[in-house]
Amino acid sequence: MTRLLDRIPESVFRVISALVIVILFSMILFPLYFMVTTAFKFEREIYSELTWIPRDPTISNFRDAIFNFHIPLYLSNTLLVAVSTTAIVVVVSVLASYALTRLRFPGRAVMARGVLFVYLIPGSLMLIPMYLIIVKAGLKDTFPGLIIANMSFSVPFCTWLMMGYLRTLSSEIEEASLIDGCTRLRSLWHIVIPLSLPAIITAAIFIFNNVWNEYIFALVLAQDDQHKMISVGLANFYRSDYYMIGPMMAGSLIAMTPVVILYILAQRHVVGGLSAGAVKG
Amino acid sequence: MTQQTLSQRAASTPSPKKLRPLFSGDVRLGWILVTPALLVVLGMVGYPFVEAIRISFTDRMVGRGPGRWVGLANYEYIWGWPGFAEMVTRTVLITIAAVTIKTLVGLILATSLNQNFKGRDVLRGIFMLPWILPTYIIVLVWRWIFDGQTGLLNQILMSFGLISENIPFLAQKGSAVALLIFVMVWKGYPFYALTFLAGMQTISPELYDAAKVDGAGRLARFRHITLPGLRQVMGVVILLSTIWTMNTLEIPMLLTGGGPSNATEVFPLLTYHLAMQNFRLGEGAALPIMMLPVIGLLVLAVAGYMDKEATE
Repeated sequence: MTRLLDRIPESVFRVISALVIVILFSMILFPLYFMVTTAFKFEREIYSELTWIPRDPTISNFRDAIFNFHIPLYLSNTLLVAVSTTAIVVVVSVLASYALTRLRFPGRAVMARGVLFVYLIPGSLMLIPMYLIIVKAGLKDTFPGLIIANMSFSVPFCTWLMMGYLRTLSSEIEEASLIDGCTRLRSLWHIVIPLSLPAIITAAIFIFNNVWNEYIFALVLAQDDQHKMISVGLANFYRSDYYMIGPMMAGSLIAMTPVVILYILAQRHVVGGLSAGAVKG
Repeated sequence: MTQQTLSQRAASTPSPKKLRPLFSGDVRLGWILVTPALLVVLGMVGYPFVEAIRISFTDRMVGRGPGRWVGLANYEYIWGWPGFAEMVTRTVLITIAAVTIKTLVGLILATSLNQNFKGRDVLRGIFMLPWILPTYIIVLVWRWIFDGQTGLLNQILMSFGLISENIPFLAQKGSAVALLIFVMVWKGYPFYALTFLAGMQTISPELYDAAKVDGAGRLARFRHITLPGLRQVMGVVILLSTIWTMNTLEIPMLLTGGGPSNATEVFPLLTYHLAMQNFRLGEGAALPIMMLPVIGLLVLAVAGYMDKEATE
């Protein structure tokens, strides 16, 4: 076996590699391709037979998703929650990660270590108490309730990500600025934050993405139509006995567009900023 | 400015210049800056965590007040439940299968992508899609593809004449479990591949050249250069992913809902069913606590790895 593998010439090896890539690549595109094409098919066509290209392309599914299934409402709900969560979490986490990596104070080491542990607490354990607390606080079916639930796992994650980055960031410029009489806060604002902008962008994208893609807490905490998140709205297409594949695919396409656009714009940051913490899923 | 990646962190020995406290105000400022995050963690993670433990000792049900203290009754009930051992085994086996396949496919893809060819960066970007797209969308699409009546897979097999009547893929035990693992892998392996790839690219090409000169074959080079170079990255990714995979609720919930006849009822899903469908909050809280030792061990292992990376 070993011998055999070694005897394969480089050119053949490249062909095998290409083949592997092509196969895996088709596997990635397969569901996405059919999601897109199905969104443009009439119901009759979806259920009756296999067509690779919509025979009679229509936008009726999009019209359905938008006007009959409140997709725009769910989208704006989700956008509001995602943007608010991201903004709060980034501010809170940047401050904490700076303190935990740059300042010496009692309790720092314990907290710095604790961040990872907190981040890794299973969601299934948090679900029930979080639900009860949100209900008790009268925040069920409200945006603050959803923001709080999302913050609970985003803050440890973001702090941890930022700490990892700040540790690798040389503190020489900071030290120089401090010696020159700059205060800590000024040095944080004028030196550390500009230097860690790439990491902050990465973290913000991860958080926005996580909130946008979150389903379980959204399902439990916001049943009310006025506050429903897009994930719950789309999954509800499956709730009934009758599947509405066309509108669901159209809705999915709409729902994933912001995420994809964000990803294309920030691909450099996301791919570059790969960190084990983002392995979720 | 280069982004920090796992691999870079692993490759470069961390030697952060320790900043000596230049100002005595460090202590106060430190606490001030940490306080918002600390409040979030204590209030939104710590408090619920303690609540979960407390609820697990009560017979609390949805909409019936705080419940009575029942001691270990919930734990005893779950422990004595005939399906418990089977559920734990199922969870562990599905997790191991998914993580193993993700690792293998991830390694294969990373090796294939670790060559110079045109369009590699574009390809790499598209391979990230499963990771970036919302899980619920991915699962809903796959569920429709595997559907037993109007599913795409049945239509495809039918159109090629491979089957004569529809197969209910998600309603048969074996195929339902296999497809659950498949969707987990599909969603997860690209991230593995791209992290491994980033790790491979930090390994010096000179090592490979030297090994070639010494007559080391392809497999020997992979085993003695690539794998050791990736060990740190792989360790962290696999451990963390094991934790996430074991806790995945969305995929089984939306793909199979635990069926057919509990074949895909993994522990997070059972927790959800106990609490949100049977309204038995006490039992629902007790179950994840019972699983905590397993997850705790994994977390400690991760922390160990991380400490090697970033010793303070």
